[in-house]
Amino acid sequence: MDSSATVMLAIFVPFIFALLVPFVSKILKQHIGWYAVAVATATVLLILKILPTIIHGETIYGEIMWLPTAGLKFNIYADGLSILIGLLASGIGVIIMTYSIGYMSTKEDLPRYYQYLLLFMGSMIGMVFSANTIQLFIFWELTSITSFILIGYWNDKPESIYGATKALVLTAVGGLVMLAGFLLLQVITGTFDIPTILQDDSMIKAIHGHELFFITLLLIFIGAAAKSAQGPFYIWLPNAMEAPTPVSAFLHSATMVKAGIYLVARMHPIFAGTDAWFILVSGTGMITMVAAGFLAFRQTDIKAILAYSTISQLAYVMTMYGYTTYHEPGIGVAAATFHLVNHATFKACLFLVAGIVAHEAATRDIRKLGGLRKDMPLTFIIACIGALAMAGLPPFNGFLSKEMFYESSLEMGEALGSPFTLLIPAIAIMGGVLTFAYSIKLIDGIFLGKRQTKGLPEHIHDPPAVMLIPAAFLAALVVLFGLVPSIPIHNIVEPTTAGILLEEVELHIKMWHGFTTPLMMTVITFIIGFGIYTKYDAIAAWQDRFNLKYPKISVNYYYDQMVNNAKTNARKISSITQPGTIKTYVSALIFTMIMLVGIPIILLGADIIPQSLNFDIAIYEVLIMLFMVIAGIAAALLPAYLPAIIALSALGYLVSLLFIYLKAPDLALTQILVETLSTIIFLLVIVKIPQKFKEHIPTTTLVRDLIIAGAVASTVFILIVNATQGIIPPFESLSHYFIENSLTLAGGKNVVNVIIVDFRGYDTLGEISVLCLAAFGVYNLIHSRGDKT
Amino acid sequence: MTTLITKTITKICLPLVILFSISLLLAGHNNPGGGFIGGVMFASIIALVYVVFGLKYTATFFNPDWSKWFAFGILLACVTAFAAIPLGYNFFRSAVEFIDLPLIGELELVSAALFDVGVYFVVIGTLLFIFKNVGDDK
Repeated sequence: MDSSATVMLAIFVPFIFALLVPFVSKILKQHIGWYAVAVATATVLLILKILPTIIHGETIYGEIMWLPTAGLKFNIYADGLSILIGLLASGIGVIIMTYSIGYMSTKEDLPRYYQYLLLFMGSMIGMVFSANTIQLFIFWELTSITSFILIGYWNDKPESIYGATKALVLTAVGGLVMLAGFLLLQVITGTFDIPTILQDDSMIKAIHGHELFFITLLLIFIGAAAKSAQGPFYIWLPNAMEAPTPVSAFLHSATMVKAGIYLVARMHPIFAGTDAWFILVSGTGMITMVAAGFLAFRQTDIKAILAYSTISQLAYVMTMYGYTTYHEPGIGVAAATFHLVNHATFKACLFLVAGIVAHEAATRDIRKLGGLRKDMPLTFIIACIGALAMAGLPPFNGFLSKEMFYESSLEMGEALGSPFTLLIPAIAIMGGVLTFAYSIKLIDGIFLGKRQTKGLPEHIHDPPAVMLIPAAFLAALVVLFGLVPSIPIHNIVEPTTAGILLEEVELHIKMWHGFTTPLMMTVITFIIGFGIYTKYDAIAAWQDRFNLKYPKISVNYYYDQMVNNAKTNARKISSITQPGTIKTYVSALIFTMIMLVGIPIILLGADIIPQSLNFDIAIYEVLIMLFMVIAGIAAALLPAYLPAIIALSALGYLVSLLFIYLKAPDLALTQILVETLSTIIFLLVIVKIPQKFKEHIPTTTLVRDLIIAGAVASTVFILIVNATQGIIPPFESLSHYFIENSLTLAGGKNVVNVIIVDFRGYDTLGEISVLCLAAFGVYNLIHSRGDKT
Repeated sequence: MTTLITKTITKICLPLVILFSISLLLAGHNNPGGGFIGGVMFASIIALVYVVFGLKYTATFFNPDWSKWFAFGILLACVTAFAAIPLGYNFFRSAVEFIDLPLIGELELVSAALFDVGVYFVVIGTLLFIFKNVGDDK
């Protein structure tokens, strides 16, 4: 099996096996979790199979054509970056699904749970290996949708529904904005294929110089920021914590939120090296990093603290990917990639710990928790490893990547010159300080201090092995990556960085690298962090007071305003555009028609009544016309419904008579039949309402209606008179084509019918579909009338 | 309207009109007619039956679900339209075949005629579905 087939298999395996879940669950019952673990493991192995090729410095490309005439194909591209996120998605997937076996009660709807987890995993893997932007977008939105379903897994809880909706609204809308960006990128480059752009230096230069450069970058970045909860879009992530904890650990810390980061990294070679990239990506990152770290203080739910810390940590990565100058476009890329890996390990680990604590202590409120170190010693150790790695303490992996963060911040500040030389490292330290403080709070609040008794079960103990081992495994990775960084660096960070920078990369990272400036910054971070931690509760209380005093200074406030008032606003607008009275619709329709007919006639400068009119009319025509006029007037003037309708249908029959005279049997036949049926239906309706025109029509209304009717009549008259004269000479009648070809091409002599069923068959299909819809419409109109709500 | 005369005439007309509507449908490809006209013709005679004998009474011996008719019709139309694709032709490609039958002579088989049958059923179904619902309304 060649490598590209392996990648395709890795994409489709989760999807196919997810579809089989309902059937398999009939056999396996509550053990369905092991099935999901097996599928995820198979996916990991498939991706690992191509890892050596990637480490070797090669990339993999493969495609399947599926609509060649439209140039549509399913194609995949694998480089270090896609392997990294693909491995995270599948590897963490295995861990999470194993953990879920212990976490999820067997009374839950397990098939649905594992099915969507697998679907999510497949979408994520599909996204990272997509070689064209449209395919990437489809998988991207699939991850949003599966995330929506998983956040709302407990769909009887209003908080879950709120959280799920919020996540969907923000990430899916962000995705649509991103699609607009992709379309602009296509306008600039003429291709949707990512590798084509990446491998063409002249194309990248053309993008940089293009007038649409900034708007394209902005649109794509909004999509990425919405997905990774950066900038003002952060608000969905804390609410997404309503999902079951394994889902939060999987989607909302380790994988899905990394999709935005992935996109930024993927677009790095295309857009980086410009001021706009630095300002947009790093700027958003730095603001988010500090703001989210700060906001974490007032959270009382341990999952919410983790959510804010995820936002802040992702902002680290974002900031580092944003560090760029013209001469050195990828200052922070290696550091960002390493931190991405590290964050996935320690944050997923912490989420699993949060799940364990919530599972055993039956609460996630940090005010109620405390002193659990003796009750659950193993969990305590794992939590310490995770939290200290996040805080950036040696010898854990978080320490290394934070040192790299400081180093690249210094470098970026250096490159920009004063005042940034100090400003950027200072912001970086600020982020580190806040991270340090809430990381310590997590350990202190849950495990240290006095054993709380109020609101906690008496006997709390370590969880079963199936929950403990996944968390312990992640903690072991945290230590391993910290002590022997060359394992992740060589196997995944270097290929990824090479994939982003499009050149060979060699990194040397050691735990001890002498008394350098980054080390000094770390020491400063710990000192200030400790100082801030002593004021932790005071700061949180101040935040609460501030929020109470100024509720409007919050993104959530505007989101709620927008969403809650959507209904009222929509109703306001629709009451203008859709007033509900038929009169308005008809007037609008007629006005449009008059405009559409009148303006071209005036613009074409033709005489309103052509000079060369043929007044030679046969006596039959005159007679029929005369009767038609009489019937028309009668229909308008007769004082009761029944005679008026009869007059109207008489008019219809006269028209069919005219058709016969004009040698159009098809039309005549149709006209007679339709006239008959519509008269009958009309009568059926009309017999149910009072039989006299009781209402008096005011003169003004009468005059207005007469003007409208007169305008329509004269417009149609002018149109027809001009049409028969051929006012637009270059247009040849289409009918010649049909008359000539109906027998040879369609084997029919009745041209009218051949047009309907063959030449314009597509139209007819549409028309009969509309007819069916009309039937349903009538049905609904009649049956929905009774219950006005 | 339910005089003996109309009742008798309706009874006589019913089979004739139905046959005529079918002949209109089948003749449509080469002579005046077609699925739409045939369908409306069929619908009008059934409507006449409904009017003359009343919906309730008619329902005791003849009560088809008209929505199924138009569902079938649209399905048939779609199938004929899409059938060309698996055979390697473009969407909506029509096939013509001439067959020599003993006694009857040359018979022309056109796949477009099958599409026309779909139209026929859709027209009958929708018209009578609407008719029945409007008429049944209290």
